[in-house]
Amino acid sequence: MRVVSLDEADGLVQCTDAEGATELVDPALVGHVVAGDAVLVHAGVALARLAPEAVA
Amino acid sequence: MKFVDEFRDAELAQAMAGEILNAVEPGRHYKLMEVCGGHTHSIYKYGVDDLLPANVELVHGPGCPVCVIPMGRVDDGIALAHEPNVIFTCFGDMLRVPGSEGTLQDAKAQGADVRMVYSPLDALRIARENPEREVVFFAIGFETTAPSTALTLKRAKAEGISNFSCMCSHVTIVPPLRALLDSPDLRLDGFIGPGHVSTVVGARPFEFIPADYGKPLVVAGFEPLDLLQAIRMILHQLKDGRCEVENQYKRVVPYEGNLAALKVLSEVFELRPHFEWRGLGFISQSALKLSEAYADMDAELRWTVPGVRVADPKACQCGEVLKGVIKPYECKVFGTACTPERPIGTCMVSPEGACAAYYNYGRFSREELAV
Repeated sequence: MRVVSLDEADGLVQCTDAEGATELVDPALVGHVVAGDAVLVHAGVALARLAPEAVA
Repeated sequence: MKFVDEFRDAELAQAMAGEILNAVEPGRHYKLMEVCGGHTHSIYKYGVDDLLPANVELVHGPGCPVCVIPMGRVDDGIALAHEPNVIFTCFGDMLRVPGSEGTLQDAKAQGADVRMVYSPLDALRIARENPEREVVFFAIGFETTAPSTALTLKRAKAEGISNFSCMCSHVTIVPPLRALLDSPDLRLDGFIGPGHVSTVVGARPFEFIPADYGKPLVVAGFEPLDLLQAIRMILHQLKDGRCEVENQYKRVVPYEGNLAALKVLSEVFELRPHFEWRGLGFISQSALKLSEAYADMDAELRWTVPGVRVADPKACQCGEVLKGVIKPYECKVFGTACTPERPIGTCMVSPEGACAAYYNYGRFSREELAV
């Protein structure tokens, strides 16, 4: 999924997948993320970061 | 999309299939186990098995989180769902897993407040929105899902949310693999290692497989080219006389895993002395429970659950499917009495279950496979 916004007050970030579905994700396990980062998400948690430019 | 399209390239897949053909010795039969249910699903969704030589057989392992939950554990969940004032939350697949007297979906139809969630965070949100109710989350899954439960429990504790608790049925991947390798039922040549579990635990925990059992393991991703490349890597190890852990999924899996996730797991969970696996029986230190620091959020301590062991229905052969001893279509009830719409066994419930993958992608018999 791709991180689209970081402005959630409770530390969650909004992410979107290739089909456009969005999900609130906890990024605590991959460190600091910025909009545009691609992350592997499982059950609402980012488990790995892919690359900054990841999703076309 | 980057990281997807390039791993579904048909020409590259054909080329890889040629390399696999060149790597096998004629006359030798290879049995490779894909441990993870996500791999099983991908193999049949993309027809990866159709690109393999006839003497390379894929055997499906126990890595489907829904499939390994025993009936007694479902009964425990249903008992909690019927407790007064409880909202019982679980992943969608768990709603349809049969217990001894029905499913959680049946309990919902009988009046229990059972709700499907996509993540533990959803369950916590329900707890926030319903402070007068008790919200229980039925936590299942391997090390891939356990960090999400752990972070949610930490969040609940930090926010002082006292009406949230967890029925923890998280399991760990190494003990069932060791149990399978110790089983006389099965002869395997190598393993396709689980990709997303390894994102958390890394590849190192699998080193016992080549060291103690002399079998190669390659951690793999979930796209068709990931799987073909992993199979080629295993076959090259066998051809070269090597036996080691390799990592095909380096774009996601660090060899040492996700250290932050492992730290959270160690804070929130501890190993159960033993846990029952559907079809595999009791396996020592193969599951997680809440640690002492989080015991106040353990639903099994807030309420009493039956905790009764329930034998699988006689007709159901999920255990043999989970151990890779039989193919799904060799089960007596596959596709007849047991279908995804009306499953008897767990392997037919989840899309990651081998039976559901065979059924949904038309693998109804060996003859049809040969076509």
